[in-house]
Amino acid sequence: MSADVILVIVVVTALAFDFTNGFHDTANVVATVISTRALPPRLAVTFAAILNFAGAFISLKVAATIANGIVNATQITMTIVFAGLVGAIAWNLATWYYGLPSSSSHALIGGLVGSAVVAEGFSAIDGHGLLSKVIVPALIAPVLAFVVAGSAILVTYRIAGRVRPGPVTRGYKLGQLASGGLLALSHGTNDAQKTMGIITLALVAHGNISATDFHVPDWVVVASASAIALGTYSGGWRIIRTMGSRIIKMDAAQGFSAQSAGATVILAASHFGYPLSTTHVINGGIMGAGAAKRLSAVRWGVAGSIVTAWVLTLPAAAIGGGLVYGVTRIFGTGATGPVVVSALILLAITALFTTRARQAVAA
Amino acid sequence: MIATALIDWGALGKVVLYSLIGGIGVPAIYAFVVLGASRSSEARREHQTAGAYGYMLLSVVGGLTCLAAIAYGIWLMTQK
Repeated sequence: MSADVILVIVVVTALAFDFTNGFHDTANVVATVISTRALPPRLAVTFAAILNFAGAFISLKVAATIANGIVNATQITMTIVFAGLVGAIAWNLATWYYGLPSSSSHALIGGLVGSAVVAEGFSAIDGHGLLSKVIVPALIAPVLAFVVAGSAILVTYRIAGRVRPGPVTRGYKLGQLASGGLLALSHGTNDAQKTMGIITLALVAHGNISATDFHVPDWVVVASASAIALGTYSGGWRIIRTMGSRIIKMDAAQGFSAQSAGATVILAASHFGYPLSTTHVINGGIMGAGAAKRLSAVRWGVAGSIVTAWVLTLPAAAIGGGLVYGVTRIFGTGATGPVVVSALILLAITALFTTRARQAVAA
Repeated sequence: MIATALIDWGALGKVVLYSLIGGIGVPAIYAFVVLGASRSSEARREHQTAGAYGYMLLSVVGGLTCLAAIAYGIWLMTQK
């Protein structure tokens, strides 16, 4: 009975993380499209949500790989996963509140690492895996996207720079629909699978699925795709504002270059098994597209805040995951801890939204 | 030594190479699509039929190449 309750809580929390992943990362796809007015905001998030949903069905082959080679799977329990998810959700909400685009994947890995360390000690963590699969790629992703998008916009201006502005803007707004669509599809494919992997692993741990016959059940695919699409549709407007207009004031050609460079880097990295964060890549691309035009076009103060958030993501989510695991263990190893923590989270979220609704009415 | 242990140089090299080819190549080709469409329209207005068709051809071939690149990207996603 206790294990059944924990399983339900883990599934609901994983879907909640998937939702925050969607609205946190909406900006990766739509910020440039909205900023250059290629699409109206509501239509842009609808477009991204539909393609996120479709993308989740494209491939299921990496659903089991989240945190693989970073935390020792044999030592992971459902309570550790629950605490890791809560740590990741908390960091996603905090960075969303401040309008900072940070990596949801890093938040999830950080949360799991923190809860696993508190539960099992440092033996539960593969330090080499953490460095080579998370930290080194995090250093490479924005630099590579910066160089590719910067070179792309220089070539673009060289070829189409003397064309009248009207046709150029119209042409690049059309191009942004294609490059944005490809990004949305790849985001749905990559990120929805993290949730599918977490839920499926919980089902394996609970005994619903045999470990020797690992497959993602259809209801898990549909639920994960729906959660990320709903999150995307709800739109993380604060982050969209940061990426769309606070880093650089971009024209349609820069938006297209940043998106095309981003989509290419993500697809190449994914194809050759080199895990890069979509958020790091797209933000690096936006900065590159701006800096290539004029170095001073990039608001380096905003860029610095974003990079600081990236650096803090892993440790902050790890501290959150560790703290949540510690709180759940106060109530023993049964379902009471996760139930109490879930109730506290629901209360906190209700209080947050009630306060915001009152502020909105007062304004 | 440490860098060798932490970085899969083979995979990283391929990622950098293909990112540069695709990430600069596709926007470059698309710039020719925009250039071709705009110049074709100008040539039509000035009754330069040959020029209009030439630029239109440039635009269409570039557009088809970009569509092929998108299709290839979607195919890559299904191969993971």
